[in-house]
Amino acid sequence: MKKELLIQNSRQLGTFVGLIVVTAVFWILSPYFLTISNLMNIAEQASINAVIAVGMTFVIIAAGIDLSVGSIVALSGVVLAGALQASLPVPVAILLGLGVGALCGLSNGLLISFGRLPPFIATLGMMSVARGIALFYTDGRPVSGFSAEFRSLATGEIARIPSPVIIMIVLYILAHCILHWTKLGRYTYAIGGNEEAANLSGINTRMIKTTIYALCGMLSGLAAVLLTARLNSAQPIAGLMYELDAIAAVVIGGTSLLGGEGTISGTLIGVLIMGILRNGLNLVGVSSFTQQVVIGSVIILAVLIDMAVRKDRTILLAKGIIK
Amino acid sequence: MKTRVFVVVFAALLGLQQCGRSDRADKPIIALVLKTLNNPFFMDMQEGAQAAAARLGVDLIVQAPEREVDVEKQMQIIENLIQRKVSAICVAPSGSKEIVPAILKANQARIPVIVIDTRVDRKAQTESGAVVLSFIGSDNKDGGRIAGEFVSEKLGGTGEVAILEGIPGHETGDARLLGFHEALAEQKGITIVASQTANWERDQGFNVFRNILQAHPHVKAIFACNDMMALGAVEAIAAVDKKGDIIVVGFDAIKDSRAAIVNGDMQASIAQHPEEMGRLAVETALKALHGENVPSDIPVKIELVTKTKLDKLTSH
Repeated sequence: MKKELLIQNSRQLGTFVGLIVVTAVFWILSPYFLTISNLMNIAEQASINAVIAVGMTFVIIAAGIDLSVGSIVALSGVVLAGALQASLPVPVAILLGLGVGALCGLSNGLLISFGRLPPFIATLGMMSVARGIALFYTDGRPVSGFSAEFRSLATGEIARIPSPVIIMIVLYILAHCILHWTKLGRYTYAIGGNEEAANLSGINTRMIKTTIYALCGMLSGLAAVLLTARLNSAQPIAGLMYELDAIAAVVIGGTSLLGGEGTISGTLIGVLIMGILRNGLNLVGVSSFTQQVVIGSVIILAVLIDMAVRKDRTILLAKGIIK
Repeated sequence: MKTRVFVVVFAALLGLQQCGRSDRADKPIIALVLKTLNNPFFMDMQEGAQAAAARLGVDLIVQAPEREVDVEKQMQIIENLIQRKVSAICVAPSGSKEIVPAILKANQARIPVIVIDTRVDRKAQTESGAVVLSFIGSDNKDGGRIAGEFVSEKLGGTGEVAILEGIPGHETGDARLLGFHEALAEQKGITIVASQTANWERDQGFNVFRNILQAHPHVKAIFACNDMMALGAVEAIAAVDKKGDIIVVGFDAIKDSRAAIVNGDMQASIAQHPEEMGRLAVETALKALHGENVPSDIPVKIELVTKTKLDKLTSH
């Protein structure tokens, strides 16, 4: 009976065991790894990818993909930075940054649900458009130097926990609740599971999908706020390849690229595994070339394990052993 | 049975972990953080540093982001090295301004920071109060000026010139441009018809210069702010059969461009001696760790490399 229960929860468990394994490995390899200050450091470094990965989880559960998040980070960042340099109040500037992100996401959503473009194509286009506008807007130059008030979003801490980490935790609790207990969340699963069926059962799938992409864009805007505060600079070339980091974290976290399945807690574990790998490999002194090989292998391994577990699960489901 | 296996494995791991802890040496550990490791310039810098570290008996950790422009990843590396409790950090900043928060963090951890190759933005540094122990590098503006003088001499004071810029807002590239512009400002017969970025990269150098050649077929000389872009331009010139018609001047004098200068594809480059920078970085860090005073600015020589100079070197 125990085994069946294990397998029922294994989607979560598999990634959790992965987290324990990488932690144990680096704890053995480096005496500097498992310290409070380094764990805070990892959480802080992972926070930007974590914020983007939340939006990506929604998108992927709804059987979509968003390749434009990195470019949206860059565009939101430079607009935010421009507003700050024009001495707009900090909250207004932040809202502007989030707004630009949401607007980019909204047009992704509209193109996908009403324009009937495949998500891959719509967001690929946005990836180039947003990057281009960011470069055009700044003339290719970084915009830097902000007030201490704004920078405190990255440098501040409450009870010794860095503020980006606090923002991340709050966001994850919020996202978990939305995904589990709101219509938006449940419909996201429904669309990813079978869009046609969701539509027939009266769900306004177009509205929901548009909302999800707008949300994903807005969260990229939030990531831009954190990144800009962290570096005290916004670069039009920022966020390169962020989409891949976010997708990797979501997939490691057990969300199916086919849609309909996945959890926010899984994504958090995925984000932490990626962060721990980067940090640990640095601490151990592994070269950046080898790091890429290791991270890529972990992604592949995670998906392989996930697929194997799922097969087990389907068999047990068929035999009626688990529900 | 399973439990027992688990306990044994756990105990073994614990033992391993303790071993790891005990071999923490008292030797100083110097960290060298580069912009990237897939550019020969920084590989030379790494070699210079490694040779010096071996000679002086210090441990050296070399790390770099995968991409040269990834300022955030470079900051992560520095944060991780602070956690690793290295004795000193030598860094070639990916961004002149973006590096400042990372330096500040090292300052707070009382780890001395030495900056190599690319200067920290002065305004950003003073505003934040970040402390840099020493800067080791060449005067890039001077290098740009030398390149400008070479071009105007070769052109005899008249002709169209194009420029391939680095990433905008990058201190090294901006300084090279400034020097180059200053040298040509006095030459009324020379006009700069195009000045565009190719983001330090070879393939972009090829594309951008091909486009420039379409728009300005009479370009007589090109100055690229680094050799990778210059080598891209060389390929663009070959692609439109203008080999020998256009003077190509690069920057950094890497191995590939030296070869291109010897066989006439390029006319000159500016040598910066990255291996010297790497050596000086390790030496200076060690001096500082021994409590010696180190100069705040350590210039590294910069010079024009031409075919005559290279031929002379090989004949020796």
